[in-house]
Amino acid sequence: MLRNLKTIFRGLKKKKFYTIINILGLSISLAASILILIWVQDERSFDKFHPDYERVYKVNSHLDPEHNGSIWGSSPGPIANYARNIPEVEHATRVSQDWNVTLVNDEQKRPITGMTICYVDSNFFSMFNFPLLEGSLSGFQANYTHAFITESTAEKLFSTQQVIGKTFRYNEDLFSVAGVLKDVPQNSSIEFDVVIPLAYHAQRFTQWGGNGKWKTIDEDLGNYSFSTYIKVKHDAVPSSIGELITDSYTKARDGENSTVFVLTPLETIHLIAPDGNKSGLRMVQIFSIIAILLLVIGAVNYVNLSTARALDRAKEVGIRKVVGASRRRLFLQFVTETVVVVFFALLIAFFLIFLLRSGYNQIAQKSMSYSFHNGLIWLYIGLAIFGTLCLSSIYPAVQLSSFSPITSLKGKSLTRFSSNTMRKILVVFQFTISVTLIVCTLVIKNQLAFIRQINLGYDKDHVLTLGLPNEAYKHIDAIRDELNGNSAIQGISLTGIWNLTDYGHSTGDIDWPGKSKDNKLIVSQATIDDNFIPLMDIELLEGKNFTGLPADSSSYIINETLAKQMGLTPPYVGASMSFHDFPGQIIGVVKDFHFKSVKEKIGPMVFWTRWGAGTLYVKTTTSQVQQAINALETIYNRYPSDSPFSYTFVDEQFDSVYKSEQQTGVLFNIFSGIAIFISALGLFALATHEAQTRVKEIGIRKVLGASVFGVVRLLGKNFVMLICIAILIACPIALYLMNEWLGNFAYKTDLNAWTFVVGGVLAMIIAVITISYQAIRAARANPVDSLRDE
Amino acid sequence: MIKITNLQKYYRTEEVETVALNNVSIHVKEGEFVAVMGPSGCGKSTLLNIVGLLDDLDEGSYLFNGTEVAKFKESNRSNLRKHNIGFVFQSFNLIDELTVFENVELPLVYTKVPAAERKRRVEEVLEKVQIMHRRNHFPQQLSGGQQQRVAVARAVVNNPKLILADEPTGNLDSNNGNEVMQLLTELNEAGTTIVMVTHSEHDAKFADRVIRMLDGQVIMETVGS
Repeated sequence: MLRNLKTIFRGLKKKKFYTIINILGLSISLAASILILIWVQDERSFDKFHPDYERVYKVNSHLDPEHNGSIWGSSPGPIANYARNIPEVEHATRVSQDWNVTLVNDEQKRPITGMTICYVDSNFFSMFNFPLLEGSLSGFQANYTHAFITESTAEKLFSTQQVIGKTFRYNEDLFSVAGVLKDVPQNSSIEFDVVIPLAYHAQRFTQWGGNGKWKTIDEDLGNYSFSTYIKVKHDAVPSSIGELITDSYTKARDGENSTVFVLTPLETIHLIAPDGNKSGLRMVQIFSIIAILLLVIGAVNYVNLSTARALDRAKEVGIRKVVGASRRRLFLQFVTETVVVVFFALLIAFFLIFLLRSGYNQIAQKSMSYSFHNGLIWLYIGLAIFGTLCLSSIYPAVQLSSFSPITSLKGKSLTRFSSNTMRKILVVFQFTISVTLIVCTLVIKNQLAFIRQINLGYDKDHVLTLGLPNEAYKHIDAIRDELNGNSAIQGISLTGIWNLTDYGHSTGDIDWPGKSKDNKLIVSQATIDDNFIPLMDIELLEGKNFTGLPADSSSYIINETLAKQMGLTPPYVGASMSFHDFPGQIIGVVKDFHFKSVKEKIGPMVFWTRWGAGTLYVKTTTSQVQQAINALETIYNRYPSDSPFSYTFVDEQFDSVYKSEQQTGVLFNIFSGIAIFISALGLFALATHEAQTRVKEIGIRKVLGASVFGVVRLLGKNFVMLICIAILIACPIALYLMNEWLGNFAYKTDLNAWTFVVGGVLAMIIAVITISYQAIRAARANPVDSLRDE
Repeated sequence: MIKITNLQKYYRTEEVETVALNNVSIHVKEGEFVAVMGPSGCGKSTLLNIVGLLDDLDEGSYLFNGTEVAKFKESNRSNLRKHNIGFVFQSFNLIDELTVFENVELPLVYTKVPAAERKRRVEEVLEKVQIMHRRNHFPQQLSGGQQQRVAVARAVVNNPKLILADEPTGNLDSNNGNEVMQLLTELNEAGTTIVMVTHSEHDAKFADRVIRMLDGQVIMETVGS
């Protein structure tokens, strides 16, 4: 074995060029694949750290499935109670969340923003594995001002881990820390910084007057504000539990119910949205495939080079066979050689991964070191390495060890290995993947540009939004006057739309004359003032804007889509409708605008003025942005608030809606770059080898008068042909994949032929440059040298 | 030791079939030194490859030490070869990545001889061919004569009963050539059977018997001086 290794090292050292190319190609493909696998494994590990996670389900609510109503991941409060009465249910627990809240350590006057609070039932901790590091859970529900905070929250709020008994404030209420929880792992769908007994939330609900006739959360059948988790007993049938829950709910609503409750496995909720949208799962699948393809591309390089160099190795094989080596023994020798190369590639791969870890953490929004704690990732990595080994070792070893001793010693009849069909197929395969990825990257880029240029139906430039301290709303008229008097500010509006680029606030509480009984239209609703439409430059197709007068309270402005869905005929203005039981008239119709991601079709929207509005929209100009911000900050700081002054530009909100698409774009850029780089590396080595083996032929041709260009063409012709075939195969694959991906968008760019041409030409240019270098070198060499060599 | 009767060997390409050996019968006794001569392309190397079980025959019989080996499978042939036959080639055929010592050791590795025994035997045979002082050099660092002596050492290290030499002096000057021939003669005198293909009448004189071939046939056998 040791002597074998020694010989292998000598061989590798002697053929430095090929060794470097082999190791480089393999290490890059291994590093990229392992990085992807780490991500894939992390995505697939979501929520699997809880005990018996296979028996835990979340309750989804299908609103009116008969009429294609929406599906929500949340459910009303009493659902958990119904579940507890079902014998097949072991536990049922509820979670309600407050996001983006500010907690204050009054002692140190330290407000911490962006916190998430979970209000949970007392059995939450017996169902989920969120370990308590310090403190006690006893009396959890009874003391509802007791809070449990994570280690990081403790550090942020108190700068220490000794926090039991310390207090912090949330709104007007003081909480004392009863326990410290381990930080929520990154692969958890349930996220929190603070856990507070649900009793607190229940009491607050009742205090604030409940929801109409329902005064407690255990009665409230109307608010779908809880995540309900159910742990079922072994052998329980989740679908029948869902039916029983639906039955109880229907009974509670006196038979008036169209909502169906369905249990969905906890382990799937991260990758499959409540409405069944599997784009998360798709992504994981696509990335898994890309990881495998990158590995294969790297292995293909190795196989191609090994088989191309078979001629160089033939003599050695022949001698070894003559002096008694069996085929099995030679096979093992070549496999060992591959193991050595892969081992070095692996070392470099891990070094690359180490170097790239912060980039990975940033792009994937995950901590790589956390992912490494999961035992499964090592299985994945092991499989990747084993797969690479098998792919790259077996074929060359079989081929090399198969040479007959006589032919290999004579160096004859081996030419068939130099023009091996298998190798051509593999080059075509590599470039097919590369071209496919390049074309996909271009299409994704086009779609992102399309989104950017799409006419949203409003002008998002130089508009910033912010919330004001509670106290400030009491003086809103004065504030409005002050801001309007500022030359840096072109206009302001107070609205209920917290994010115009991704706004979801809908209701079915709409009626109009002639509405049929089974029409369950769900519409988006937004409170705006008379400044909003002109400020955002939303086009009024018909009628007029709100006036700012009390008469507005019975006026509605709707969008085109709603007008159509209500079945109205123009002119729409003057038509009656009632909204949340307030009768009124349509005074205007605005042109459809995108208030959600362009993945979704524009839905129906009602603007009205009745309900409270807390988001301030401020329009300024490029040159006066800072001045406007300063003015806003001055006003903001005039009023007491736990949260520091902050604002967001509508532009930024828009970007964050497409963050995942942009990430996909960046990743595809990287993947296609790696694929084409490795493929080109392999091609470079093959071209080098081709030039070396044909050196005598080139010499003779030159003596007979061939030009440099003629020789380059001779050497490049075959490769170019292979790339052409690869492009032809790649185009339909990319077309199919991108049609699928674009299917996610309601508004999308056309797949035009140019994208494919550009992708193909790009790959061809890279390939031609790669080949030309060696070909030109070979063609310019003095023919006398090559001929004398013989 | 070797008894080949009515051997036929064809080479086929897609369009033509060439007769490489036609109705060849030869008989080599144990301890004999036989030279095979003839012009290029007469089939002498093909014959040597068949004798060495590197190539198979199309028709005829081949008895090696009384065993019919004509229909042997590759694994059997390889086994027989590594225990009984040593080869010396015109172009030496040493492995460039292995040192002199390792090249000579190779047949012993493949016959699973223990390491200590291997060392002893390799050193013994290197002494014999007087190349011990270059045991750690690589083939490219040696002269042609030295390389061929290494090749001879490798051929004999396993104590084969038969050595097949294919123009062993073809790439050597006369001094080096003579040294190699001297080595082969000594081996023969020690009891090893040798079959040697050669172009050189001078070398053929070292043999007990000369088989002359032309166009794939044996045309004459002469007993040497």
